[in-house]
Amino acid sequence: MSNSVLWYTTRGAGTVTLVLLTAVVVLGILSALRAQSANWPGFLTAGLHRNLALMTLVFLALHITTAVIDPFTNLGWAAALIPFASYYRTFWLGLGVIAFELLVAVVVTSLMRNVIGLRAWRAVHWLTYASWPIAVIHGFGTGTDSWSIWLIAITIVCAAAVGAAALYRLIAPSADPLAAPRTDFRAAVQKREL
Amino acid sequence: MQSQIPIQARAKARDAALRRLNRLTAGVAVGALAGVGGLAIVSAQTIPGTKTASSASSSTPSDTSTPATPDTTQAPAPATLQPSSGVSSSSSPAHVVTGGS
Repeated sequence: MSNSVLWYTTRGAGTVTLVLLTAVVVLGILSALRAQSANWPGFLTAGLHRNLALMTLVFLALHITTAVIDPFTNLGWAAALIPFASYYRTFWLGLGVIAFELLVAVVVTSLMRNVIGLRAWRAVHWLTYASWPIAVIHGFGTGTDSWSIWLIAITIVCAAAVGAAALYRLIAPSADPLAAPRTDFRAAVQKREL
Repeated sequence: MQSQIPIQARAKARDAALRRLNRLTAGVAVGALAGVGGLAIVSAQTIPGTKTASSASSSTPSDTSTPATPDTTQAPAPATLQPSSGVSSSSSPAHVVTGGS
């Protein structure tokens, strides 16, 4: 396999990983809202969210592996696993490593949710909101295609999707049927404690 | 027996949703694989990397394999640069510009 093919694959896999990660973030936000309908039960959103998160890791592995084994760059595995260890574009590649490791932490803790408990899982899961923008910045800083029209268009669409989902989460009422009773209960408990 | 009908209906709906989940996951996987291929082709078309010819140099072509600081952001080749897929010159060393992401 020629160096160029590896290089093109690295760039293609990186972009696909960003799109998949965006889909994962959007589905995560929607599953937190418990959005569902007769044809789209809630567990479908959660299941797709989980499957796409695992798929994102697979394509991220492809992105990293093709970058590392490309003999021209000679990055080495340390640069792929240790933040800011790369001789080449140290800062931007370091951001990519951080985004990758945050994502691994989120996926691993999700798979171990029953072991670590809901509170710890949720705390780590919030890291996704850091992983996504760090990945975007890594792409713009490191990416060869940073100023290509097609990559800018894809990034704008991804940012719009995440922004719209986050905004919707902030303004939309919860679909949880027990949300109001829970809120009332918490308010009553706080009142008694005072 | 009557109370089992809604349960059966719900089980059918759940099975249908699971089948939909599997189809969606498979579809996204196929689409993502195609996306990698398609975007790799687009990447190759937009910034293919270059080989430069240096007529004054007397170094051997083996010097081109792993430069210390590859530059991945060079513009597509002007007149003095050629696409990476070809060999630039039989009498001049080639410098492949590739690497990074």
